[in-house]
Amino acid sequence: MALPLPPGLTQPEVAFLAEMELVTIVPRQRLESIALLSGSTPPLRPPHRADLPLWLALLLKKQRRANIVPPPWLHPTSLSEIITRETKDNPDAFSDPPPPISRAHPSQPGRARRLAESEAGLSPPFVPSCTAEAPAGYLPYHWLEVAEALLAHAGDDMPVAAGEVRSLLRDLVEVRAAKMRSSTGTLEMFGGGLTSLRGVGAMELAESRGFVLGVVDGVRKLGASAEATRREEEEAGGGQGASDDDESDEDMGL
Amino acid sequence: MDIDDILREVDPTLHEVPQEKRDLQDLTRAWVAERSAPELLNWPSGELFERINDNIKRQIERVEEMTGDMDPKTNFALIVIQTELERFKYLVRSYLRARLAKIDRHALHYLSTDELRARLSDMELAYATRHQALLHNHYLSSFLSSFPPALQNLNDTAGNIAMVDLPDLESAVFIRLLADSMVSGRGVDTDNTFEFQESDIVILRWSDAKPLIESGRAELV
Amino acid sequence: MPMYGDLGNKLVQHAKRTQNLQHLPAYQTELVRSVAREVRDLDREVASLLEPFQDSFDPAAEQATACTLLVNHMSMRRNKRCLLAYHRTRTDKLEELVWSGSDLLDLAGQQAGPGAANSMNGPGDSNSSSSLSPQEEDYVRQYGDLLAAYKGHWTDIDLTGSLEPPRDLFIDVRVLKDAGEIQTEYGAINLTKNSQFYVRQGDVERLIAQGYLQKLG
Repeated sequence: MALPLPPGLTQPEVAFLAEMELVTIVPRQRLESIALLSGSTPPLRPPHRADLPLWLALLLKKQRRANIVPPPWLHPTSLSEIITRETKDNPDAFSDPPPPISRAHPSQPGRARRLAESEAGLSPPFVPSCTAEAPAGYLPYHWLEVAEALLAHAGDDMPVAAGEVRSLLRDLVEVRAAKMRSSTGTLEMFGGGLTSLRGVGAMELAESRGFVLGVVDGVRKLGASAEATRREEEEAGGGQGASDDDESDEDMGL
Repeated sequence: MDIDDILREVDPTLHEVPQEKRDLQDLTRAWVAERSAPELLNWPSGELFERINDNIKRQIERVEEMTGDMDPKTNFALIVIQTELERFKYLVRSYLRARLAKIDRHALHYLSTDELRARLSDMELAYATRHQALLHNHYLSSFLSSFPPALQNLNDTAGNIAMVDLPDLESAVFIRLLADSMVSGRGVDTDNTFEFQESDIVILRWSDAKPLIESGRAELV
Repeated sequence: MPMYGDLGNKLVQHAKRTQNLQHLPAYQTELVRSVAREVRDLDREVASLLEPFQDSFDPAAEQATACTLLVNHMSMRRNKRCLLAYHRTRTDKLEELVWSGSDLLDLAGQQAGPGAANSMNGPGDSNSSSSLSPQEEDYVRQYGDLLAAYKGHWTDIDLTGSLEPPRDLFIDVRVLKDAGEIQTEYGAINLTKNSQFYVRQGDVERLIAQGYLQKLG
């Protein structure tokens, strides 16, 4: 078998993907530009900051050639704010993802439009959402993987004790895991065909992918004959939706 | 002068994403999509893989040239280059093997029409055709040749039992909206159409997601 | 007398069992032959049932015959599916082994599982203990060639390489015991006790396992 892996990215694959996120570093040594497959790296001149993919930033950090500037959303005040939002303000949903870049210049509509075109189709990990310029108060798609990598390898670059950041992250992971679990309630409603998980993170998806997709596919297979009947009736009835009675009858049959 | 050139003059930032960076983005997205979709997707157009393969080859040659140079500065550059090289090789390898696994599993299906065959690269098509021939030969020499002639082919569908295994196009996938869009999804109880925002992550059937992916309004995650 | 289809079921059970095994159990030569024979018997029966009618068989007028014909057709097709499933499960397994780099000798030497009847055969008697049919041995050889040809288009990326995302290609190591000079891609490194190096993990994995080096961080 050419690929003994289930469909959908595994957790190690998601971690690999997250290492493409750009982060900001402060070089401690000069380093000339390196011609990489993905383009040339910027020449590094202390103390000028530069944005590099996480995997390269970690390499420099391990060699003590650079420090990593943690993204603003990883600061304790930002994490606390997000936790408040996730628990008090909107306990049923994940907090919003960072605003798209194309809308970051509302005062310059012309510029925003063109940026929207040039950035069209750009998405994590290729939009800078983990650099020093990223907004505080929003968790980017790869938040957990990037946070874990930075805590593991650049804990001494945190603005406060790494332990404090780690404990806030743990709280956030738990709050959101509970939401993921309760969203299975919504999944049972997948009778409607569309379920939104706005704000969910890549690692959170990878962790529950098998379960979530299993439930959704299971509901579909169990309801296949009910669905076929409904479609026939709708066709016959000129597109009228099935009545509630029919649905509950079918539910009993399951 | 086409519209792109005019726009570039007006706003030089418009096309500043260099080819190398765009290729990595395209490769990465193709990999994520192929790892996530229940069926084989189109082989990327625009010579993406020819370019990436050439670049990898050239980079390996550079590594060989730089090797042995004990200057510490070269040494670190070499570490960076090799680390990135391994990442690229992994991406291409995992992508190609995700495709081969699908092709192997449903070979007769992907070879059955010109439209489906067009999804495969030339090399994949050669591989799939030969693989299928090997399998058919194996079945023939193991048992099929002793069958009545009418039962010897592999793609008969008489009696409504298809011998050709099909991918499940209704399995659920996760997508991310790349632009605000109306999304329609079919469910067991009802079918719905909702307006979704850019960055929304939505669970729906692959057959409902496919048009959004193909038009670039969404991507698989 | 066994029902038509019983043998086919046996094959499917074998296939199911094979899917969950690490090794490849012995090829069921006799069972395969019997199921194929059943198909030919059924086909003959169909032919003899139809013979009296020439080409003018009317199912509505001959319902009993039509019913038998239908059952026979379904049984033949079922047997065919069972045979296909059985062989496909095994070729899947064989392909997996080719991907993982096993060669035909490794495969042919496989016993049909520990404690199997044919373990009576003396060691080295690999022909009689092979769990592969001769056709399967051919298949392994041909698929190996096919895979080599496809791989040949992608020599630089090593298609059969690891499917784990690369991590820590280079690592920090501390030398625990003097290990002398080793050759790496960057030339020779002299591993003297307590010195520290940043090296390619693949170059020093054995030295770590042997306790000469310690991985740091």
